[in-house]
Amino acid sequence: MSILAWKNLLHDRVRLIVTLTGIVFALVLIAIQFGMFLGFLDTAANIVENNSADLWISAPGIPHVNGGSPIQESKRWKALQVPGVTHTANFAVFFVNWKLPNGAFETCQIAGFDLDSGMGGPWNLVAGRIEDLRGEDTVIIDDLYKTKLGVHNIGETLEINGKRARIVGFTHGIRSFTTAPYVFTSFKNAQNYIPMREHETIFILLRTARGANLPAIRTRLLATIPGIEVFTHDEILLRTRNYWVFGTGAGTTTLMGAMLGLLVGIVVVAQTIYAATIDHLKEFGTLKAMGATNGQIYQVIILQSALAAVMGYVLGISVALAIVGSTANTDLLIKLPWPVALGIFGLTLFMCMSASLLSIRKATTIDPAMVFRG
Amino acid sequence: MQPLISVSQLVKEYGSGANRFRALNDVALDIHAGQVLVLMGPSGSGKTTLISILGGILSATSGSVRIDGREIVGMPESQRPALRRDLFGFIFQGFNLFPALTAEENVGIMCKLKRVPQPARAAAKLLESVGLADKRNAHPADLSGGQKQRVAIARALAGQPRILLADEPTAALDSVSGRNVLEILSGLARQNNRAVIIVTHDPRVLEFSDRIVTIEDGRISSDELRRHIPPTPGDIA
Repeated sequence: MSILAWKNLLHDRVRLIVTLTGIVFALVLIAIQFGMFLGFLDTAANIVENNSADLWISAPGIPHVNGGSPIQESKRWKALQVPGVTHTANFAVFFVNWKLPNGAFETCQIAGFDLDSGMGGPWNLVAGRIEDLRGEDTVIIDDLYKTKLGVHNIGETLEINGKRARIVGFTHGIRSFTTAPYVFTSFKNAQNYIPMREHETIFILLRTARGANLPAIRTRLLATIPGIEVFTHDEILLRTRNYWVFGTGAGTTTLMGAMLGLLVGIVVVAQTIYAATIDHLKEFGTLKAMGATNGQIYQVIILQSALAAVMGYVLGISVALAIVGSTANTDLLIKLPWPVALGIFGLTLFMCMSASLLSIRKATTIDPAMVFRG
Repeated sequence: MQPLISVSQLVKEYGSGANRFRALNDVALDIHAGQVLVLMGPSGSGKTTLISILGGILSATSGSVRIDGREIVGMPESQRPALRRDLFGFIFQGFNLFPALTAEENVGIMCKLKRVPQPARAAAKLLESVGLADKRNAHPADLSGGQKQRVAIARALAGQPRILLADEPTAALDSVSGRNVLEILSGLARQNNRAVIIVTHDPRVLEFSDRIVTIEDGRISSDELRRHIPPTPGDIA
């Protein structure tokens, strides 16, 4: 029966093209929307994800890592007295204005970190050295935002909040969920750019002893230091992600787009597979008259759908990978890791199988006596 | 010797209540192996209903139909595909070939369905037996009407069924092709000890028949034996 499924599928080229177009359209929509969702998850909280601190101290009630407000730096020394805390460091993330060479302004986010502990520093450095940030007014930006920030080479100088800034390095692939790129600098330099008083910080990052009881340390910190909130790494990661990805509706929109792709795919594929079944109804009737069971007829229809799914997947995932590749050097991150690609294959199969259910229902009702009716 | 097909008091009704219509009324018929039986009658007389019931495609309302000793009236629907697969070969007026498949694949798919060993080889031999060895890779669209019907005959012969049911097999054919198809069908009955039942309006068929049964208004109105077929080992002892 497999030969009938395969040949029926290839026999009507126009229908095959329509079917494959439906599958590819749906699949690319699903892959890109879901890839964007994964990209959002990544970019929304990458500044936290790549931070090695075990605990974060902030002002109470901050909505996300990019929405902190200043706290007294002296709390850092109190934190250091809590048993289990081994290192503390200042860290600041704050929106600032970047003056472009043409005089216009771009919003960016200063990420000021403690150079000695390294907590909160940049990753994927492709030019320059982190140590160069020890120099006054030095910053590192991501090369994906060179054009946006009007920067081309190391050594160029610009202005951040009216203060001089000199480019000493570039990272690659540190994207920002907002339109404001990250600008890495030392905490000391950051104090010049961010409107906060001396002896203030936005976050205090803590590193704890190996195997330390984090909830217990947090309880002690809260008991000892008034006016703070303490997060574990995962807590601030989740809060930040939830805010940007779901709170802004961006994640929900992309997920809905993916769902819509699935729905469109099912409808288009169901329609074409159903129409193909109607076209072949007499053939199925002939098969039934000649002794084929309903199960064998279903086998043909299901196999036909599965073959369409495989062909559509190969085409669709190729298109999706090409789109992902084309955005590699842009500020839009679309992630399509192989487990997701594999999952999409399962989803494509599911979509095509679901679509064939209508056809199977129709095939069940075939009266084999139709073959004698001319 | 018992006949290969034995029909008695066969009734088939369609619809219900006031719309009830009796398509077959008290039909009785015995068909022996080796016999070419032609079923004639005007349109709507019940020929197609009878052939559909004999082929296990349609259920009878009442009566008895014994095929190769098995009663099929009241047979559960789940057992009917196997009955059709194992005992019957079907030939249709419109050929009913699968357009996407080659001639050999059309025959081969039926060989697979009927679990014939080495289906591709068996299909090639069957095509050869109907004189179409050189057309094995042709698609139905590339064949003439006569060639298509010969492919359909080869397909019906997959698994060597005991009974061939042919519905208007010459209706779409010219006189030469029609004669050729009828020669093959009558040869299959006589040489291979099968029962061949042909439903037709075509008077050309009569020349090849052993028996002509005419149906009118759901009843057998005449049953003419043109050539006596002696009981053969193909009949049921």
